[in-house]
Amino acid sequence: MTEKPPTLFGLPEKVVFCKRCVMSNQRPSSYPEFKHTRSRICPTLRIDEEGVCDACRHAERKPVIDWEAREKELLKLLDQHRRKDGGYDCICPGSGGKDSAFASHLLKYKYGMNPLTVTWPPILYTDYGHRNFMNWLKVGGFDNLSFNQNGRVQRLLTKLAIENLLHPFQTFILGQKNLAPKLALKYGIPLIFYGENEAEYGNPVADNASSLRNKSYFSMKDLSEIHLGGVPINELMEKHKVTLNDLSPYFPADYKELESSNIEVHYLGYYVKWVPQEVYYYAVEHTGFQARPFRTQGTYSKYNSIDDKIDDLHYYTTFIKFGLGRATYDASQEIRNKHLTREEGVALVKRFDGEFPDRYFKECMDYLGIKPEDFVRLVDAHRSPHLWKKEGGEWKLRHAAWMENA
Amino acid sequence: MNLRIIPRLDIKGPNVVKGIQFEGLRVLGKPERFARHYYETGADELIYMDAVASLYGRNSLLEIVRRTADEIFIPLTVGGGLRSVEDIRKVLRAGADKVSLNTAAIQRPEIIREASRAFGSSTILVAIEAIRRSDGTYEAFTDFGRQATGINALDWAKRAVDLGAGELSVTSIDRDGTGEGFDLALTRAVSSAVSVPVIAAGGAGKIDHVLEVIQEGKADAVCVASLLHYRYVRECTYSPGEFTAEGNIESLRKGARFSRIEDASLPELKGWLMSRNIACRSTACGTVR
Amino acid sequence: MPIDGVRDGPVKVAIVDYGLGNLYSVQRACVHAGLGAEVTSDRREIEAADGIVLPGVGAFGDAMSTLRRLDLVEPLRDAAAAGRPMLGICLGVQLLMSRSEEFGAHEGLGILKGTVLRFQEPRAEGRALKIPSIGWNGIRRPAGAEGGDPWKDTPLEGQKDDEPMYFVHSYCVQPEDPGVVLSTTRYGQIEYCSGIRRGSLFAFQFHPERSGPEGLNIYRAWARLLTGDDKQ
Repeated sequence: MTEKPPTLFGLPEKVVFCKRCVMSNQRPSSYPEFKHTRSRICPTLRIDEEGVCDACRHAERKPVIDWEAREKELLKLLDQHRRKDGGYDCICPGSGGKDSAFASHLLKYKYGMNPLTVTWPPILYTDYGHRNFMNWLKVGGFDNLSFNQNGRVQRLLTKLAIENLLHPFQTFILGQKNLAPKLALKYGIPLIFYGENEAEYGNPVADNASSLRNKSYFSMKDLSEIHLGGVPINELMEKHKVTLNDLSPYFPADYKELESSNIEVHYLGYYVKWVPQEVYYYAVEHTGFQARPFRTQGTYSKYNSIDDKIDDLHYYTTFIKFGLGRATYDASQEIRNKHLTREEGVALVKRFDGEFPDRYFKECMDYLGIKPEDFVRLVDAHRSPHLWKKEGGEWKLRHAAWMENA
Repeated sequence: MNLRIIPRLDIKGPNVVKGIQFEGLRVLGKPERFARHYYETGADELIYMDAVASLYGRNSLLEIVRRTADEIFIPLTVGGGLRSVEDIRKVLRAGADKVSLNTAAIQRPEIIREASRAFGSSTILVAIEAIRRSDGTYEAFTDFGRQATGINALDWAKRAVDLGAGELSVTSIDRDGTGEGFDLALTRAVSSAVSVPVIAAGGAGKIDHVLEVIQEGKADAVCVASLLHYRYVRECTYSPGEFTAEGNIESLRKGARFSRIEDASLPELKGWLMSRNIACRSTACGTVR
Repeated sequence: MPIDGVRDGPVKVAIVDYGLGNLYSVQRACVHAGLGAEVTSDRREIEAADGIVLPGVGAFGDAMSTLRRLDLVEPLRDAAAAGRPMLGICLGVQLLMSRSEEFGAHEGLGILKGTVLRFQEPRAEGRALKIPSIGWNGIRRPAGAEGGDPWKDTPLEGQKDDEPMYFVHSYCVQPEDPGVVLSTTRYGQIEYCSGIRRGSLFAFQFHPERSGPEGLNIYRAWARLLTGDDKQ
């Protein structure tokens, strides 16, 4: 009699891979980070009775969407907000990566808007990432506000997030998502444009009925709801000697302020057909973007998310926690956009997924003040038994897209 | 001796693709059409690169090589994912005149010696794909621009020739597809260091660049891709059913332009070079007698 | 290995297979020119063919030892002596010579008296030229040709002077008898023999099957000579 292994993180026990892309039902959907604790049960990617995931279903509709009609909607929206008095009329959050470069450039130079770009800088800038950021502004031509974080606080929270949640990217996700609404409020700029539509990645299809995200996602009602690094705020302040002010950059905007404002949050990807590879070409052509000069570890690509050294580590942890590495994410996106066949995606996942990101590992560990062997212990503690088994002293995935049982 | 202009087709599956800095696989059309067009307008040779061969451990160009060799009577070089002497033999039998080796040669340099003994030095071209380091030296890369090797490109060039390569191509990964011009320092360094012909590749954005790389870069032959492709793509019309396999055809739908490239045709390019006293084989297509 | 599309024309040539060379492109060119063409190393087939093509890319010494091993040296010498139509290409033209200096001294087929020599420091405009010589270079009628066009009734009939053909070689032939020189080519400061004729034996240092439409015309012209058809 075989005992069924328990699962960690409330993940679905049965591992199912999408029949079209290479993503599995273990992938967490979008979830408010500030509520993220060890014991959370996060909604995960839905795979329907035909074995197709929500993201692929969404992609199905992409070729039949009336993009002209969507553009008309966009123009209507933009016409309502476009300013002629010299002020900014919209905010484009980003760091000069291909997606924010594309979005901001389109809005300014095609649609005649006056965007203010806002940046939550990476935790550990890569040099080519920083160059892309500068080129975005210098070659692309944009005004930019960057919020340079208190380094000690950022380091503390990042370290806690890793130790408690094995989530290196939490501070970045929190900071980036929360910066735009707060600056929008401060500067009275009512329109915020993010890039790709999140439904592309499999958040509930119902969210796509209109491209406006529920404002409350970005807002908070009460401090006691908030956890950072998996730790409740009071404990953070007491135990780690940080103040409310120190933590405030990671909080979402105040709910009351948002609710009574006229701020709207949109995904440009709802209005404009987003073809990731073409976005790369566009960014090269118009904002001086350059791909990474070597292959990103853990995947085959060179132009996705390359400005933060911690990013490589982040995708390694998704591989550990969900069995899904960076190649899986990249390949799935390309399969949905019909740049790759599933067969090719599977081959890429088999070859690159879970590759240990040794290039920047030591630097990340030094920055965090975590000993490499402690990190390994942390990693192993986050391997859910329903995903991992130990064979001959080595950890092996029980399920993978390239395995027979997929 | 006339200067050789060699169009390069990066091929994925059934399509011609063109990336920037060896990234991205934007589809620009069908290899058969591009090959025929370039043959008819004066290409001196053709290069076919299987753009994803190393990625998937396969070379799938045999069919297109056969079809090309049947109709097009100029030298054809084929590369991408050739791992063994047997792989090389298959491609030569299919009709290729030369093969281009990179990844396999860096991983096992002896293959250059073995292949040049088996097929003749002039059949073996070693492709050097390099990225400029901050100290001004160049590092060789494998796997179509994906894998750093830590090997100095110039040293490797000399070694490849010692092992029997009859020809070298030198590609700047930094410049490829950007239209910013060839890396003249890289080309000149390699061409001056070896006694075999060196083909420059990577970066042509206008016809001036080709002259530059011949005069200052000391290239013996010039390989171009974007410069010509972005002109020809506009002259092609495709029926909707032609692109059924996977591929990024989004930009084809919109008329594939790239503002950084001042595209040209082969006759324009050669005509201009000849006006600058570079001897070129004239592009008038001969009549059948 | 037979290739699709080999037509059984009235005239059949044997393309000598001694393991080296772009045999299949030579075959394709022959077929395009209307010839039947078989790639073979069988001496009887070679002896029975209406014409013999001796192609080749690679090292002289290896080629000769393979020809000996395959017992093809005698049939080739006999065919030349009997005045049977022959076409040598690239290494093929070099093998016809009495000797080569490539990597030591080697004996060739000796069908023509002469040597094979390596290019010595070719230079142009103060710049060292590369070896092998790879590319399109012009072929010219030999100097001092009297009375009529030396290229008439040869595979080069109808070609312009200085027509570019595709060359790949580090060595060139130096026949003793200037009368067999059919065409010359210049690489840097070196002028060398790029085409040979003796009776119905023709041989070229360049690759007509890789020299575009004009190269194909050379095969067609040869085919016309074989069939005795001199219609335009």
